[in-house]
Amino acid sequence: MSTVKLTDVKKVYQGNVTAVHDFNLDIADKEFIVFVGPSGCGKSTTLRMVAGLEEISGGTVEIDGEVVNDLQPKDRHISMVFQNYALYPHLTVFENMAFPLRLDKSIRTLPDGRQVKGFSHDEIYERVTNAAEILGITQYLTRKPRALSGGQRQRVAIGRAMVKDCKVFLMDEPLSNLDAKLRNQMRAEIILLRKRINTTFIYVTHDQTEAMTLGDRIVIMKDGFIMQVGTPSEVFDKPDNLFVAEFIGAPKMNTIRTNLVKEGEHYFVTPYGAKIPVTGEKAKKLAKLGVPSKEIILGVRPEHIVLAKKSGPDTIRTTLLVNEMMGSELHLHVVTDDEAQLVVRVPTIHLTEEERNSMVAGKEVYITFEGKVMHFFDPETELSLLGPAHPEEPKEDK
Amino acid sequence: MADFNESNVQEKRHAGMHAKKVVSNTIIYVILVLMSIIWLIPFIFIVLQSFRCESTSMTGYVFPQQWGFDNYVNLFSNTQFPRWFLNTFIIAVITAALQTIIVLCMSYTLSRLRFKGRKFLMNFMLILGMFPGMLTMIILYRVLADLGLTQGNSIPGLILVYVASSGMGYYVSKGFFDTVPKSLDEAARVDGANRAQVLFKVILPLSKPIVIYTLLTAFMGPWGDFVFASYIAHADPAGYNVATGLQWLISTPSFLSSNYTMFCAGGVVVAIPITILFMCLQKYYVEGVTGGAVKG
Repeated sequence: MSTVKLTDVKKVYQGNVTAVHDFNLDIADKEFIVFVGPSGCGKSTTLRMVAGLEEISGGTVEIDGEVVNDLQPKDRHISMVFQNYALYPHLTVFENMAFPLRLDKSIRTLPDGRQVKGFSHDEIYERVTNAAEILGITQYLTRKPRALSGGQRQRVAIGRAMVKDCKVFLMDEPLSNLDAKLRNQMRAEIILLRKRINTTFIYVTHDQTEAMTLGDRIVIMKDGFIMQVGTPSEVFDKPDNLFVAEFIGAPKMNTIRTNLVKEGEHYFVTPYGAKIPVTGEKAKKLAKLGVPSKEIILGVRPEHIVLAKKSGPDTIRTTLLVNEMMGSELHLHVVTDDEAQLVVRVPTIHLTEEERNSMVAGKEVYITFEGKVMHFFDPETELSLLGPAHPEEPKEDK
Repeated sequence: MADFNESNVQEKRHAGMHAKKVVSNTIIYVILVLMSIIWLIPFIFIVLQSFRCESTSMTGYVFPQQWGFDNYVNLFSNTQFPRWFLNTFIIAVITAALQTIIVLCMSYTLSRLRFKGRKFLMNFMLILGMFPGMLTMIILYRVLADLGLTQGNSIPGLILVYVASSGMGYYVSKGFFDTVPKSLDEAARVDGANRAQVLFKVILPLSKPIVIYTLLTAFMGPWGDFVFASYIAHADPAGYNVATGLQWLISTPSFLSSNYTMFCAGGVVVAIPITILFMCLQKYYVEGVTGGAVKG
């Protein structure tokens, strides 16, 4: 069991600057949780508070039910991988990986029941070589970190964190210093590693792709506040607010200030003169919540917008500004008659060569989208009109 | 034709620049050579005097007429020089060890920990360090005398004085430690190290230049000190260090005429350990001096 519980965790820096506001989160045993958000949102600070590298200004951090606020990092049973690897330059790869084991003088019970203090040379050798084999760095064990590439260094850093028996595995933007190709490769390796290690992970990144691909749950943060916690599909399909809607997904969601119109039992949106009905679960939920006709911010993901063959009541007339050829898809940047810019993702497989070639700047393009893919946000609060993905349960009075 | 003229002009300009460079380099080298000669004259002079056997006093010429090791033999057999040398060695080694530990711990603390009054403390020590240590000499003598650490017992007294204020020399080492990434400390702390282990197992092995620099400066201070050492132990030659002892050898006109060449031999012997240390550790010393200066 290795659960982590953060209750009203707060970080206030000198000068009364609050970096993290009342952070509440329960992380289950063996869960892979990802903190994601733009720079300065407090994700790394929160991770460092869990690690014990940052003092906690308020609230409690519990690991396995034990409050660890005042424990040194070494006493928290954690491992951590840093963004800049933080390998010890004067030690070989082997010694780097053996470092935590050599320092560990705690009393352990072996499988045969014997109690031993620390790790013997043989145990250290076995653990380090096993980890090196898993990570494919056996041939580098005698080298110093400066003789390794960025990817190899990051593997060593992961190896150093792996050899220890830790309750929680913390990763602070471990792939940020790698080039795009290596990052994709390492991301896949982390997924495999997670299966092998099978412990609780807290992973910090600013890259929403990493967050979506790695996390069991994602914590999206902004300015020290949690904006939403949910599974990757939840935060993508049911964003609680405009920030999450725009942050998750690439290219980002198109937002249109328009009107939600209720006519009898039916809802419509009227972007740029078009009239598009709201359908499916979303229409039902709007009706259930009794949302009246009002001005809204409409969100539509670029991949949910489709090109219409001809003009119609549910289409928007636009002019093509830029056509980005991404290989398997086109990213069309279009501008409406009202000078609003939208992005449309069109899979190239659905286009004939003639259609693909005709997508040049200045071309008139009609676009539309289905009622079931729309997202509705209040222009003032920026919260979803459909309510949060996980409605908060009323707290019991203490 | 135009091309030919242009290339001709360029060639001439190039030749002119080359000549200018040669002239300026020559001037610089001549000045440097002159400066080195001026620097070296006293050393060469003392070395030559130390091998003079025909006279023990000053002469009107530089090169000895009779060469030999008589002065060195006399120095070690007929004076208390071995005692002074040992005194100095003990003081310098103990001071160097203690001062290095204190300075490095102090610098690491000021570089890594953030506590109330840290900036004030740093500025306070920096300003305090600007006052010459001699200002405290009289009161320190009184304190040491009360503790019985003067004259024949000057060794522990001097060590105490040299080590006591060593924490104030944190500045260069702190500058160096500031350049070592903090994430290394953090990684080590997560790996199971306490603060002391972080310093001794991670930071110091990475800071060899600054450790050597601190050690050398801490060794050289007491090794060459005259003013303080002579004041603390002025009445008892048993408590002298080499500088005080050598000065005592030529302290009267009659001493000067009988001990001058021996004094020079003493000067050479005193320089040997420092010279060897410097030659071995020169590389680290330069790195140490410049290391903290790049990024503070």
